[in-house]
Amino acid sequence: MALILVALPILAGCALFFVPRSDRTIARATGAIVAAATFVLPLVASGDGGFAARWLSRPFTASLHFGWSGVSLWFVLLLALSTFCAVLSANMAQTRTMVALLLMLEGTMMGLFTARDVLLFALFWDLMLIPPFFALIGWGSHHETAWRYLIYNFAAGLTLLLATAAFGVIYGSTDVIGAGHQVIGSWAPWIFAGFAFAFLVKTPVWPLHTWMPATYADTPPAMVSVVSGVQSKAGLYGFFAIGLPFFGAVIAGWRELFVVLALISLLYGACIALTQTDGKRIVAYSSLSHLGLIVLALTSGNTIAFQGALIYIVAHGLFSAALFLILGYVEEREQTRTILRLGGLGVANPKLAGAFTIAALAALGLPGLAGFAGEIIILTGVFRGGLFWPALIALIPIILASAYVLRLLQDIFNGPKVPDLPERRDLTLGEGLAVAPLLAALVALGIFPNLLIGVLR
Amino acid sequence: MIGVNLFTQNDWSAVLPLFIVACSALVVLLADFVWRGRTSAQIAIAIGVAALLAGGITAGLEYGRAYDAFGGGFVLGGFAVVFQEIIVLAALFSLAIYRTSMSEEKTSGAVALLLWATAGAMLMAGAANLMTIFLGLELLSLALYCLCGLANRPTSREAALKYLILSSTASGFLLFGMALLFGASGSVTLSSLASPALLTDPLYWMGGGLFLIGISFKLSLIPFHVWTPDVYEGAPLPVTAYMTVVTKAATLAVFARFAYAAIPPGAQYPLLIPFYLIAGVSMIGGNLGMLAQTDMKRLLAFSGIAQVGYIVAALAGATAQGMRYAIYYLVAYTFMNLGAFAIVALISGKNEEGSRLESFRGLAARRPLLAAAMTFFLLALAGFPPTAGFLGKILILATDITAGYAWLAGLLIAGTAISLYAYFKVVRLMYERPPVDAAPAAAPLPLAYVTVAICAVAVVLMTFYPLTPSNILPLTR
Repeated sequence: MALILVALPILAGCALFFVPRSDRTIARATGAIVAAATFVLPLVASGDGGFAARWLSRPFTASLHFGWSGVSLWFVLLLALSTFCAVLSANMAQTRTMVALLLMLEGTMMGLFTARDVLLFALFWDLMLIPPFFALIGWGSHHETAWRYLIYNFAAGLTLLLATAAFGVIYGSTDVIGAGHQVIGSWAPWIFAGFAFAFLVKTPVWPLHTWMPATYADTPPAMVSVVSGVQSKAGLYGFFAIGLPFFGAVIAGWRELFVVLALISLLYGACIALTQTDGKRIVAYSSLSHLGLIVLALTSGNTIAFQGALIYIVAHGLFSAALFLILGYVEEREQTRTILRLGGLGVANPKLAGAFTIAALAALGLPGLAGFAGEIIILTGVFRGGLFWPALIALIPIILASAYVLRLLQDIFNGPKVPDLPERRDLTLGEGLAVAPLLAALVALGIFPNLLIGVLR
Repeated sequence: MIGVNLFTQNDWSAVLPLFIVACSALVVLLADFVWRGRTSAQIAIAIGVAALLAGGITAGLEYGRAYDAFGGGFVLGGFAVVFQEIIVLAALFSLAIYRTSMSEEKTSGAVALLLWATAGAMLMAGAANLMTIFLGLELLSLALYCLCGLANRPTSREAALKYLILSSTASGFLLFGMALLFGASGSVTLSSLASPALLTDPLYWMGGGLFLIGISFKLSLIPFHVWTPDVYEGAPLPVTAYMTVVTKAATLAVFARFAYAAIPPGAQYPLLIPFYLIAGVSMIGGNLGMLAQTDMKRLLAFSGIAQVGYIVAALAGATAQGMRYAIYYLVAYTFMNLGAFAIVALISGKNEEGSRLESFRGLAARRPLLAAAMTFFLLALAGFPPTAGFLGKILILATDITAGYAWLAGLLIAGTAISLYAYFKVVRLMYERPPVDAAPAAAPLPLAYVTVAICAVAVVLMTFYPLTPSNILPLTR
């Protein structure tokens, strides 16, 4: 069952290359159906959809073992939902190719989230870098961005590979995700260092974030909504699936380091977001800040914080995807994303402004939306975990978040109208449909965060 | 007492595969007397393919049999058979792209030389005494000197001369080392070199050192690699493709047999550690060298230097497991590398090789499937999943960590990180917009398409069904 989640999008993506290059309808319809199917399948299927086949028996045992359970189910659903929305919103030169890449990205990341084998996890970790790389060389305006994305992340993938090999040798098997015990011994910190480097580059965390702003700014909106919304959570998922179960003791030993990195990311991301003028870069730096909060939660060693982290991961995935998609709509209409050159769009485009406002309010943590639920539970957990000062410092960026999110909202949709901007159509039905599921999910999870809390109980 | 029955039928049947290959070369030359021109070329290739298939099949039938032929000069066993199959496979794939860059009247001679070279390499795969090793090596090298000079351009002759001079020098090292080893042990068989009495003999250490220097030359490990890019660039494309796999596979077979079976207990580490260091340097240096290249053949030459470094790293510590993974990676490398070469052949014009990197620009728009396949092979060489290059690296890393050579694992990772940029430079060129329009009319090479397909499928299948041969050791008795 879980194998279908992986194979279906990848095969569909490959098949789309045989559809005429100029086609839009078939590509988007196929993409939407596949993405919807991958969303519904785990919900209606019973059990964890396990599939296992022996892969290696030496030098360590490894299996092609897929399945979803607990935490990974939520990553799977988030991925399917954001792919669905991204596919619907894809509307550009060569839509077909973009949809195909999106489906391949979905398939590879499904593999990552459903892998129950560390080696399989490492395999999909590298594989998921390829579709965004092609999106960057196909649509991006700077080639260096594609290089920076690929080399940073592949270097991280290589440390992951080395760590996986060492893990396999020490542990005897890599078919252990979801059913393991702590790795002990003098090798454990070294192995975890390899994993942690990969996870922290992907998230990203200061000072390993330098590939991120340019990548997010340069990638087309449909792709970046998935990359920022879901792919950036791969590292955090790694903490859930590999870091905490196998290296909990190492994490506890390195807590100060993680807390410091997380707090710097939180503050640094928020401060830089305040100074940026490119809408996508503001959201990119806000991601750095928000994900820093999650790293803080995951390394705090407190169960409540873990629950908050899971909620916030889903919430951030939803609102950052929505923000990037809507910024994409704005850019498509006005041919710019510099907020200084925009203004007063809300008057002529009330629906666009309304959709953006919901996503923006979730980003700044308005009670009633999913972002708030995540933040408050994380802070409670971090506080209970004995990290009083970090919890207190983490409040500052949350206040700063209000400033930069409101500035974004204000400069684009409110305020005086910039005179030389042409009048454009409001949010169309298709575009609205593409973001509506994300916004609906934000509201639903804001009201019923218990849906997610139960997972980790 | 030398009698008529010194060699039995078993001895001859052990070397039957390479006899088939070597004798078919004569048939190719005879056929050239009868037919001329295009027909002659086609018949030569057909005979070559048939001979290699026959050789490969007869070799495969011997798998599972263990026999010391010619008084231990040629040891038949799983190891020899596996390496012979790799060599035959590589020869077949390079025959499939034989029609590029060589005029038709030269084809018969080229095919004959290629078959002789293959026979030499197959001999090296099973050679277990110093004489047979040298015999096989010279047969391989002499044929290759001629093959390198066959392209219709001055650089080809330059390549042949360079290869002749430098490779002869390397053979000199090897031969001198062999002489000293013989002087120390009083025997030419490899197994007699494993005697602990040799540990105190300075002749043995000098001989072993010189032998390994010769091997490093032939494997083109850094710093003995300087001839490689120039020779690969000048040689005709199919010959380059052939050399990247066959010379390396045959020399690796010799090295593996030496490292596993011909070293006294206790000398393993001090004698071989410089060699593993050289392999480590090659992983870094080979990949760094790739960065500056503008020619695909040179790029793949440097890539090969690094990839051989990975394979040698698998042999570090001389474990049974390491041997299996070295073979696994060698097979993977054969498919990845020759797949890439087949694509270079497919984008070549009638008289011009498409090996300049510029000829890859915009390939995705012109020939999307070829570009996709090339991307796949380059990703595989870089170690991206889901390819055998990825799994092979994991297996080598695990072996090195188990055998206590974690530093080699670290160097492998560092080298791979560097290689990424070079491989992706080509990928980026292929997908660059806007594509250039003028592309040379491609030579019809149906066999090359088959090669690409086989290589691609094999690289994926090997990832998910990682079979490694089990009856490899011991290498000598």
